[in-house]
Amino acid sequence: MIVAERKPFDEIKELIQGYKKVLVVGCGTCVAVCLTGGEKEVGVLSAELKLVNKTASDPASFGEATVQRQCDFEFLDELKDIVGEYDALLSMACGAGIQFLAERYPEIPVLPAVDTVFIGVNKDVGWYEERCKACGSCALGMTGGICPVTMCAKSLFNGPCGGTNQESCEINKDQPCAWRMIYERLAKQGRLDNIIKICPPNDWRNQKPQTLIQPGYEERKTAVE
Amino acid sequence: MNTKQQNDMEKVNLSTQIAVIGGGYAGLKAASRISANGYNVILAPQHNDTDNNLAVLGVSAAETDRIKALENDVANDQNVEILPLSTLLEASGMPGNFTLRFESAGAVLEKSAGAVVVATDTAVNPLHQIYGLTPATNVVSVSEFENLLASETTRKAIEDGKKTVAFLVGFAHEGSPLLMKRVLNCVSDIVGMDGCSAYVYVNNIKVADDGLERLYTRCRNSGAIYFKLQKAPTVIQENEKLTVSFYDPVIRNDIELNPDIIVCEEVLVADNVNLGLAEALHIDVGPMGFLQKENVHRLPVASNREGIFVVGSAREVQDLSTSWSDVDNMMLRVRALIGDGEKSVAAKAVVDREKCTICLTCYRCCPHGAISWDDKAVISSLACQGCGICASECPMDAIQLADFTDAEMTDRIKAAASESAANAPKIVAFCCQNSAYEAGLAAKAFGHQLPAGLQLIQVPCAGKIDIHYILNALVEGADGVLVLACHTGNCKSEFGNTYAKWRINDAYQKLEQVGIEKDRLEFKTLASNMASDFARIVIDMEKRIGQKKG
Repeated sequence: MIVAERKPFDEIKELIQGYKKVLVVGCGTCVAVCLTGGEKEVGVLSAELKLVNKTASDPASFGEATVQRQCDFEFLDELKDIVGEYDALLSMACGAGIQFLAERYPEIPVLPAVDTVFIGVNKDVGWYEERCKACGSCALGMTGGICPVTMCAKSLFNGPCGGTNQESCEINKDQPCAWRMIYERLAKQGRLDNIIKICPPNDWRNQKPQTLIQPGYEERKTAVE
Repeated sequence: MNTKQQNDMEKVNLSTQIAVIGGGYAGLKAASRISANGYNVILAPQHNDTDNNLAVLGVSAAETDRIKALENDVANDQNVEILPLSTLLEASGMPGNFTLRFESAGAVLEKSAGAVVVATDTAVNPLHQIYGLTPATNVVSVSEFENLLASETTRKAIEDGKKTVAFLVGFAHEGSPLLMKRVLNCVSDIVGMDGCSAYVYVNNIKVADDGLERLYTRCRNSGAIYFKLQKAPTVIQENEKLTVSFYDPVIRNDIELNPDIIVCEEVLVADNVNLGLAEALHIDVGPMGFLQKENVHRLPVASNREGIFVVGSAREVQDLSTSWSDVDNMMLRVRALIGDGEKSVAAKAVVDREKCTICLTCYRCCPHGAISWDDKAVISSLACQGCGICASECPMDAIQLADFTDAEMTDRIKAAASESAANAPKIVAFCCQNSAYEAGLAAKAFGHQLPAGLQLIQVPCAGKIDIHYILNALVEGADGVLVLACHTGNCKSEFGNTYAKWRINDAYQKLEQVGIEKDRLEFKTLASNMASDFARIVIDMEKRIGQKKG
């Protein structure tokens, strides 16, 4: 899932400064699961903003709405009858959702209430860890299911480097060496020969906005266009 | 808001087969009682040897015979299926319909059960080490000494040797009547032998059981000498020579004695299978590895999960008679739960399946193991205790509690916060109905002085107090908000007060950010009988806020 965290409250206040009617828009998918931007958090943020505005001479007012996913136009459409009443939209979705909301309603300022931090896993309630950098060149088949791009400080496809120290990375003794973990996992599975094989490097020059069309849908895309 | 479903009754079919885990005296009794009540029983003994456990508990010969007869009856009972020496691998499902996977005799068996009764045994550990002693022929544990007395030859050797036996009891741990009974039985034997003498070095003499006071006195009258000391005597073990020295508070003198044999106390500990069972059954582990937490709200034999009952030594050190009264309690609970296998139940918490994003937060937070999932979260009406922790944690507000829906709570908060009371500060107090709400009602009934602007909002558990409610009360015009929960370790739902405390701390940070004084919000714990404390807390808050206003 995509993991996000609430922006510092002062930053949110700064962002919405000057807008008198603001709609706080939640997203019911990834950011809800990571307890950052679902319906509950929309209510809480909106209550905080209302409290700040209680003492203001010219208070702003706040509305609340949560859609299933802000990364789908169909769900964003559900807001079409109400967005007109607002001066600004304060989105609690991930960066993709925020941009899609802005794209759907280009005439209204869309502001972010959260910072999108990583693609990660749920270790326990409220506890998430990064596992994927979306590099576009998955090496997990070679590396025993441990991502060197995410877990290695240098994102090495072929490691370890000379900075591996006991079980730790040279940057920090609390940071485990990814390639040490990969070695141990492969050893456990009897696949140590994998570590000798050269993993082709990722083409980092290719880090421009990506588009994916699933096989079988190319024709549909052409037809729609 | 899915209020429409909340008063619906759900018809549930329950399995009338009951699993009993543990084949000791409590397990056998449970199996026999459940079968006699017309249910089928799966009996899963965890150990090979019931005799050993009977010895541990100092069960008399007559009682042992009764248990042997019971064992025989259970073995021949058509309604009881015995899985010899089985291990519980996994348990899934909800009350009325659990599925248990056992490994027994090399095979994996899957059994359904409407309810599960955990009736494991106790084990006994020696405590020589704590006294700085090494086990030797003349330094033995109570169990070993009982064996010496039980065998003709060793008993005769003690008698003929006119041995002096010293017993060390109650210094290594608080002890229990059960252990005291075994020690006193040994003492009684020794003082009955011509020329033998018994010294008992003891801290607190535990006699809170039938006939123990009498046994203690009889031993004393027959010549046993008790030294009641605050701390353990110094014991020196030099090969064969044993020296016990201590300060006698009665004759106010240092005393040194040289017994022939030292009998060192033991401790009764939880069955070593308990932790594994707790993990498989998703039930809490209490102190010392027993399977019930210390919680005043827990009825006897209840675990944190409905439909899973803990009896006898599975939950605390128990003798035969208390174990068997546990079995009676368990039978009442099983009958109430399972009945004749069909039941109508009202849902206490309902999931809005359209809103649910299946983040598993509710599943992970539920203290009663009442939540599972298909493609959305599913709350078992039978297992749910209605605490509302899940509803307060759900990031999509997708769980609504009967009588405490978000819409109803919002209305109540709005009404409470906007209630006008002239110039008096408006205080909204969220009160757990198991403690603070009762204390608040009592404070009113007893005529304690209470703030004019105080409004109580009842919640089923402090765990239901959503951070949103707290902030909303302030938004709606409250001058102060109180969150009143049960004392630490005293929550009926185990963690409701803890969750409430965490949310308050989160709310403090938020209030600081929005520029509202932190002392407008307060978290306190109460018990239902603390009416005057309740009054003090609310009056203190009124004073504090009144000063701000003034």
